[in-house]
Amino acid sequence: MKFVRSVTDVFGYSPFEDLHRHAELCGKAVEKLIEQFQASINNEIEKIKELEREIDSMEYQADIIKHEIRGHVTKSLLMPVDRHDLLHFLKMQDSIIDHCEHVAHMLAYRQIKVDHEIWNLINELLPKIQKTVNEYEKLVDHIKRLIASSFSKKEIMESLEHVPVVEELEHQCDKVQIKIHREIFNSDPKNALELLLLNEIVVKLGEIANSTARAADAFRSMILGR
Amino acid sequence: MFLIFVIFTIAVGLYMAWNIGANDAANSMATSYGSGVLTLKQIIVIASILEFVGAVLYGKKVTHTIAKGIVPIESIDPHLVALGALSAILSASLWITVSTYYHLPVSTTHSVVGAMVGFGLAAVSQNYIEITDINWGILYRIVLSWILSPIVGAMVAFLIFTIIRLSLLVRFDVSSVEHVFKYLQILTACYMAFSHGSNDVANATGPMAASLGYIGAETPIWVLVIGGLGISVGIATWGYKVIEMVGKRITELTPTRGFSAEFATASTVLFASSIGMPISTTHTLVGSVLGVGFAGGLASVDLSVVKRILASWFLTVPVAAGLSIVLYTLMVVFV
Repeated sequence: MKFVRSVTDVFGYSPFEDLHRHAELCGKAVEKLIEQFQASINNEIEKIKELEREIDSMEYQADIIKHEIRGHVTKSLLMPVDRHDLLHFLKMQDSIIDHCEHVAHMLAYRQIKVDHEIWNLINELLPKIQKTVNEYEKLVDHIKRLIASSFSKKEIMESLEHVPVVEELEHQCDKVQIKIHREIFNSDPKNALELLLLNEIVVKLGEIANSTARAADAFRSMILGR
Repeated sequence: MFLIFVIFTIAVGLYMAWNIGANDAANSMATSYGSGVLTLKQIIVIASILEFVGAVLYGKKVTHTIAKGIVPIESIDPHLVALGALSAILSASLWITVSTYYHLPVSTTHSVVGAMVGFGLAAVSQNYIEITDINWGILYRIVLSWILSPIVGAMVAFLIFTIIRLSLLVRFDVSSVEHVFKYLQILTACYMAFSHGSNDVANATGPMAASLGYIGAETPIWVLVIGGLGISVGIATWGYKVIEMVGKRITELTPTRGFSAEFATASTVLFASSIGMPISTTHTLVGSVLGVGFAGGLASVDLSVVKRILASWFLTVPVAAGLSIVLYTLMVVFV
């Protein structure tokens, strides 16, 4: 609009809505990944490839949001949280969806035929990972309320209650992950290549839970570091 | 001949008042639209009435400062004063039009003050007055008020929002606190319009009053009425678009934040009006919003705006003064 002088320049770019959208994408990608595992167990090759594409595109969208945030959070912005803490938190959150994408590609490399015991254990791990990420999403959901209340103590306490829960869930994921590795390395080595691939996949699955816990920790540091 | 210049000055002054209504008043009122407290229609009605009332009832002192506070117009031939006032209002209006076209955060106040100084300097160069006759003391005070007003706005807004935060936002449900402040913000919107009218009207009526030669303490009420009407018409014919555009972009200014910024701005501006200091409402508002940001009330404020505003100060005063000198000299030579 021409012929306007306005005060809008004083309102800087707010990264919090984008951070929230980015976290939502992480949650959705994990959901899709679990669907992809079911497709893999059921040998639905087309579905595996389709879900791989979907997760890949989600990761790409998340990357765009990440760059948008990094490009806009300049030194001249005054935000209620430290800029470096915020960018560190973003980096941690971004690694959740990065690991998801890796797993999605690996699942599509080749058909994996291993013992039922191993699949059963993976089916035990997957809901735990989803639970961890869902709990993490609840934590990030607090951003809007934190800003609205201008970071009141009550809101901070309520939001941070989710952090130890995420950490506990991540610990449970770790335990199942170790069981799976043990099972893999004690099984018949006739299909060693598939076992190796599955082992790599399980390592990356563990990384999804680890990244989620690290992002929750970075969120806590960001909020408390004000 | 002399009358033509006076009429022309009033006409350009009216354009200036329209411009103030279209942009500056609109910016001040947009905060109430952004927080969704008032509809566009309600804002236009409130702003038009209260800007007018503020201008007519409280605009005299600042008008007086601009008309005769800087240049000692009593010591100059009234015909030359009429030319000087016309060149001042013309150059300020021209500069404001150009800067508005390029979206520069330029203040109408700074333009008019710069232009009046230009007229004074031109009169000095033609030996009508001495350089020491220009009231530098008042000019220093005006410049000091330009520096202080955004700082005071920021400090008051910081204080008010901190009190709201510590006493209400941490104790009660945020949405119910915001709901209560919706009603309070209607009051601050009125307060804002009134105080804005009382200060900014002088940017239009100051040169008019000088031109009319009413050099005593009296500024005729009808001059303020013309200025107030110009502002109201500006809001109704163009300002509403600006309110809509600005309001849509500042939705994060919730009622508690909007209240703090408006109350701080309106109080600072009204105090300036009461001591006759012409200040920039827009720059004070920017200071107040930054104050709310410093108090942790906003998700993000951009401090680089301060640099741009400072740059606009250093640009506006010399440009307006230079233009005024050129126009005045041309008029004196050719008329």
